[in-house]
Amino acid sequence: MISETMTERKTAPAATAAAARTAAATDRRVTFENVSKFYGDVLGVNRVNLSIPPGITGLVGPNGSGKTTLMNLLVGLIRPSRGKVSVLGLTPDQPEELFRVVGYAAQYDSFPPGLTGYQFVESYLRVHGFSAKDAEELAWKALKRVGLVEAAGRKVAGYSKGMRQRVRLAQSLSHQPTVLVLDEPLNGLDPMARAEVIDLFRDLADGGLHVIVSSHILHEVDLISDQVVLINGGYIIAEGDIGEVRDEMEEEHPVQVLIRCDRPSLLASRVFEQDHVVEARIEEDGRTLLVRTRDADRFHLLLNEIVMSTGITVEAVAPADSDVNAVYQYLIGSNGEKS
Amino acid sequence: MSEIDIAGTKAPVVPSGKGGLPWGQWWRQTLAIMRLDLRKGFRRPYGLLLLALAPVFILFLRMVIPEAIEDSGDIPGATNFFAIIYQAFILRIVIFLACVSIFGNLIRREMLDRSLHYYFLSPVRREVLVAAKFLTGLLVAFVLFGLTTVVSFFLTYLPLESTSVQNFLFHGPGLGHLGAYLLATFLGCLGYGAVFLAFGFFFKSPAIPALAVFGWEGILFLLPPLLKKASVFHYLQSLCPIPIPEGPLAILADAPSPWVAIPGLLVLALALVALSAWKIRGMEISYEES
Repeated sequence: MISETMTERKTAPAATAAAARTAAATDRRVTFENVSKFYGDVLGVNRVNLSIPPGITGLVGPNGSGKTTLMNLLVGLIRPSRGKVSVLGLTPDQPEELFRVVGYAAQYDSFPPGLTGYQFVESYLRVHGFSAKDAEELAWKALKRVGLVEAAGRKVAGYSKGMRQRVRLAQSLSHQPTVLVLDEPLNGLDPMARAEVIDLFRDLADGGLHVIVSSHILHEVDLISDQVVLINGGYIIAEGDIGEVRDEMEEEHPVQVLIRCDRPSLLASRVFEQDHVVEARIEEDGRTLLVRTRDADRFHLLLNEIVMSTGITVEAVAPADSDVNAVYQYLIGSNGEKS
Repeated sequence: MSEIDIAGTKAPVVPSGKGGLPWGQWWRQTLAIMRLDLRKGFRRPYGLLLLALAPVFILFLRMVIPEAIEDSGDIPGATNFFAIIYQAFILRIVIFLACVSIFGNLIRREMLDRSLHYYFLSPVRREVLVAAKFLTGLLVAFVLFGLTTVVSFFLTYLPLESTSVQNFLFHGPGLGHLGAYLLATFLGCLGYGAVFLAFGFFFKSPAIPALAVFGWEGILFLLPPLLKKASVFHYLQSLCPIPIPEGPLAILADAPSPWVAIPGLLVLALALVALSAWKIRGMEISYEES
């Protein structure tokens, strides 16, 4: 009994400190705790548990998979049927605090009628409570960031789809939020604008912001995301760094590696002796070897050893199925681009 | 103004209240919402302008062809004529329909435009949003129909001999009448506005409930005294300086005194705006359904 009490006394401060650290860490994250949303009998998302750190997070899934529902839950446009959402320690029930730190560009391609691009951005900054001078300054800064300064005086109704996408982006980041939530932000953008917007996301994420981006185009998200959340049919099917997710699937879906070298037959015979290598196949060009292995790390060490011992000249080594597209394909048996 | 550093840039920070409720911020946000709503919501108010001009047009016709109506051509005759036009047409039809159009669409129009979420994604209390939208509607309605009331009032007396009109206005009850009509217009916009704002949260289309209220107000003269109390028009009518005949079938009831009518309408409006604020707090954006 005494020892129990002493143990309690000794561990209590440590537990408190740990709890405080956890709380502080949680306050830097966007979290979903067992969140479900039903529209009547229709499932939106079910039992979602997520803890999203700063950086670019790609929310990936086919159309109708629950990406928009998840984003709308995050910003309180809809309420969870069950569970709790927290954004940097704030709940969507606190819009006055939440939207000082959150910016959301929804996928609705709609705008208040009659406004120019500048008026659209500036007016909502005034609604935030900014003074006329600050709102003007912030509006121009945001429009400059998305490259819309020249078109700012034109009515939004006359904008192209790409321009409307950019002005929505400008509005969502105009108050300089720390969490930026963007629903299909690259839709409708031409390749040049797409590259610029991706650079902007990278800049923002490098500055410590959360940039949460949804897309149904997997390779696009793969290019820009620090971590991904794969969603299908309202369920989270995988999350985290895409490489780590892929590693976890090695047993069921061996990793494929392409090696371009001068003696693929020799290399094939050497690698095939290993138990973790399940296949070694020379491709039609006669210079490329496709290896399927259940342990990518061991394979890469082995490859180094073989190259050192045999003097094979390796021109290139590339993963063949470690991108988000392949991962998604393995997880749901779809390439993720279907409607 | 204080600044915080986000992503390497200095961002202005919205000043917050030092303890207590942030009334200053709410007021700034209210003004910003009103400015934005006036800019986008009432750009081409052709229907409202037609409604506002309808009584003016009737009174203009009366000036041009006075023989078309039974008019004694004197001050008491004109006063009675305006009382009928005001209560039977301006208050009961024009202001009523305008309030259906203005207040019933304050939220609904933004659902149809799919632009309500921009407000919901701003750091503004939803109660402040409702209050600001109600004030915008009230401003538009009162400016338009207050002007209609004033112009119609003066057009009524314009054809009469100027000395007697001046005496009526400045040495008689004329300006008092005008003040009472303006008060009724304001309270009409306030009361009907609050009713239709609240309806906007309970009905997908304001047309059917508006028709029901219109019918109720229309048969008011037939209702027993107790039921008359559940009517905005009953209280507004009591504020008008000249009573109008309600017909042989009317069930007569004592008009409430202004000391009951004015606070009563204010309390009704406050309660309905509070109900709307409560409804909007739990509102979800689901444009697909709208």
